[in-house]
Amino acid sequence: MRSSLRPLSLLVVLAIGAWLLWPPARPENGVAGKSASTAARSVKHVIRFAPGGIYFPGTLPQGVGEPLQGLTKVVAAFEARFPDTRVEFINTPVLREFLVTQLAGGSAPDIVTVNVEDVWVDTQKNWYVPLDRYLEAPNPFVAERDPRAPGARQWWDMFRYQAISRGKKGPDGRNYCISLDMVETGIFYNQTFFAAHGLKVPGTWGEFLTLAERIRRLGKTPLAVNIDALADWGQDLLFDQIYQEILPGIDLKKDPERDAYQPAYLDPDEIAFLYRKGLFTRRDPRYVEVWRHLHELVPYITRDLITADVVRDFVNQDAIMFWSGTWLTGRLDADKGVGFKWNVFYLPPLTRKESPYAIGVPMCVIGGSGTQFEITNSAVSDTDPSLPFAERIKRSERLRRTVQLLQFICLPENTEKIVNEFPILIPNIVGVPVLPQLAPFERILERRYTSTKWAYTFDLRFNDITRRMLLLFLTNGIDLDGFLAWQDSNLRAATQNFIERKRPDFGPFEREWRRRAPVRAHYRDLPTPP
Amino acid sequence: MISAPTRARLRFAAGCHVLLLPSMVLLLTFVYLPVAWAFVKSLYRFEIGGQAEFIGLQNYIEYLTIDPPTWPSMLNMFLLTAFAVLTRLTVPLVVAKLIHSLPAERTRYLYRVGFLVPIVVPGIAVQLLWSRLIYSDYGMLSETLRFFGLGDWTRGWLSDPHTALAALMFMGFPFAGGFEILVYYAGLSAIPESVNEAAALEGCTGIRKFFRIDVPLVLSQLKLILVLTVIGGFQGFEGIFVLSQGGPGFRTMVPGLWMYYNAFSYQRMGYACAIGVVLFAIIFSLTLFNLRYFRSAEEIQGHTS
Repeated sequence: MRSSLRPLSLLVVLAIGAWLLWPPARPENGVAGKSASTAARSVKHVIRFAPGGIYFPGTLPQGVGEPLQGLTKVVAAFEARFPDTRVEFINTPVLREFLVTQLAGGSAPDIVTVNVEDVWVDTQKNWYVPLDRYLEAPNPFVAERDPRAPGARQWWDMFRYQAISRGKKGPDGRNYCISLDMVETGIFYNQTFFAAHGLKVPGTWGEFLTLAERIRRLGKTPLAVNIDALADWGQDLLFDQIYQEILPGIDLKKDPERDAYQPAYLDPDEIAFLYRKGLFTRRDPRYVEVWRHLHELVPYITRDLITADVVRDFVNQDAIMFWSGTWLTGRLDADKGVGFKWNVFYLPPLTRKESPYAIGVPMCVIGGSGTQFEITNSAVSDTDPSLPFAERIKRSERLRRTVQLLQFICLPENTEKIVNEFPILIPNIVGVPVLPQLAPFERILERRYTSTKWAYTFDLRFNDITRRMLLLFLTNGIDLDGFLAWQDSNLRAATQNFIERKRPDFGPFEREWRRRAPVRAHYRDLPTPP
Repeated sequence: MISAPTRARLRFAAGCHVLLLPSMVLLLTFVYLPVAWAFVKSLYRFEIGGQAEFIGLQNYIEYLTIDPPTWPSMLNMFLLTAFAVLTRLTVPLVVAKLIHSLPAERTRYLYRVGFLVPIVVPGIAVQLLWSRLIYSDYGMLSETLRFFGLGDWTRGWLSDPHTALAALMFMGFPFAGGFEILVYYAGLSAIPESVNEAAALEGCTGIRKFFRIDVPLVLSQLKLILVLTVIGGFQGFEGIFVLSQGGPGFRTMVPGLWMYYNAFSYQRMGYACAIGVVLFAIIFSLTLFNLRYFRSAEEIQGHTS
């Protein structure tokens, strides 16, 4: 009898335990895979929307604050306007591997959020919808209520940072994204520590290194940073500094629309061509100089470049500066452990004193378009797959509704709800105010753009190998020569792969190269073609 | 004319075939066909969503003669596997022997359960635990060193080229895996009591008995663990993927992970298939070698009797 009661008593104990530990009821925050509005209705279009980690409904921005609800509210209003449409939020992994397989299978979310440079790699596969024809047409939601408001004539006019937004046009001359906001990077520094030790914001690269040395001698890590920042931003900043002088002689492709923001941007096809002319190799002293300067930071940066928690290092005052971006402003504001004043400065320029190839121009901006929404091939799934992609785009009703969702999001009152819910990014829609915490970054955004984005120049293999070998180089596992040998073979393989995949026509570049020979004649130390 | 017993045997065999058929069809569809497909596609240059182009053995030539990570990753794979073989063939056996030597069955039972419970923790959780709690900047290892005033010795255990591979090897310390312990324990329990008694009468006890009697009689178990460890070591990469992504540089890269990166990150499917085929060839050869030359206790007995 006693033994037969044992399972029963165990069940009672488990039931009481479960009752005691039952989670308290929480307000609805918007959940992955669920519609913003649950009202029952006849639905013709289900738009699957992957808004990315920054605005995903119900999540805590940067792990602090209240769960986000801005996008849920905007989408609910859209669904109320179009009762035949339902929007599902999809929480996709950050992994590109996931997206690639989904795109290939035609089952990716209709709207995704990735850096558009990643999109450029695959444009020949018809995975993404070019948005030019919609951007050049009126935004219907603006036009219907005020024919003179920005966006009523063409959607493009709604974007505050016009040049940056248009600068996201791909090398094939098409636009694949809309930029809802802007992001910026900078050096966060402990202003209280600086004042206490008589340290000043540096004006040159040399002064920056001297400052770092002084902080190191005070027993602190001067600059907390991780490998991604160094491989991506560090490489681009120093490349831009060192090659600035010779850009007029090597920038062979001109596009007036992009040039407003990127006056001398080197596209992947230009880089591939220039590599064949001997640039960006071990024989190119400027290229060697880029990496040499990056290595100058080694004594002053975080020892662990992979797992270092740069914010924690900064908040704990183990590190006096850290290299990051706008997205951490809110987190620092909310962190009660920050017992000091902090501010932001931008990396100072290299001068002739520090490098024979530098001309002392201010460092370019690392930032620009933040959240970039793209529409995928899934949006045209209501059309006949055997039709050419361009024809499917013309015929798809579903695509029209997907574009309308983005147009609706771009209304100032909607963007404000989404972007200004937490101080992470600077809104890119005319009429939406910038939160005061982000004001210092707005000034940085006025700088010119980088000469190229190496991390997005070629395929992901190139980027991955660069990052890997740079980590090895910066942890002294390989010397400069060894690193350059790797980069040489890496670039050779990447250019070869690029030529095979994209089949670029180098004829116009060759003619332009010859035409600019007199300009290049004034430059010293240019490598000769192999 | 077929006799009745033969007919019955054939009927029985036909029944077995019918029952085996669904499994075989599924196996064929989801295992053999993809493997055959990988062999074929390894002769093509193709990427996800792109056109395929026949290039013959070009992928193999590139992998075996040009691609810089090939040989360092092979070396890493052999080192990691050798270390795993060494630890899995020794530590769990010693632990199993110690448990087996305990006089009280209840205590033996408690130890067995204690060592077995960690098996239910998913591997990925264990790897993340090592990554975040032990090897990270503020992890147990660095904090312990700082506590003893040895802050200068701290480093990015997984990002430092001098420690990354060792850090991976030591993941799982003290290497007393529950599965291996159970297998060895079963082997030790299967040793006939008469053998133990005879050894005791001959004065063969302690370490001498362990090496002279126990180890030879658990050779079958050792062989099983060896085969599984080698296959796991050559195929597995998820731990490295989680902990170091094969870096810094290629210091912890292994061919399996390089295959994964080529397939899904770089979209070079044909090339990844070629790496897979090479790996298959290596594992297949080693398994054959093992089966051919590493004989179990039963085989030795059969051979000598």
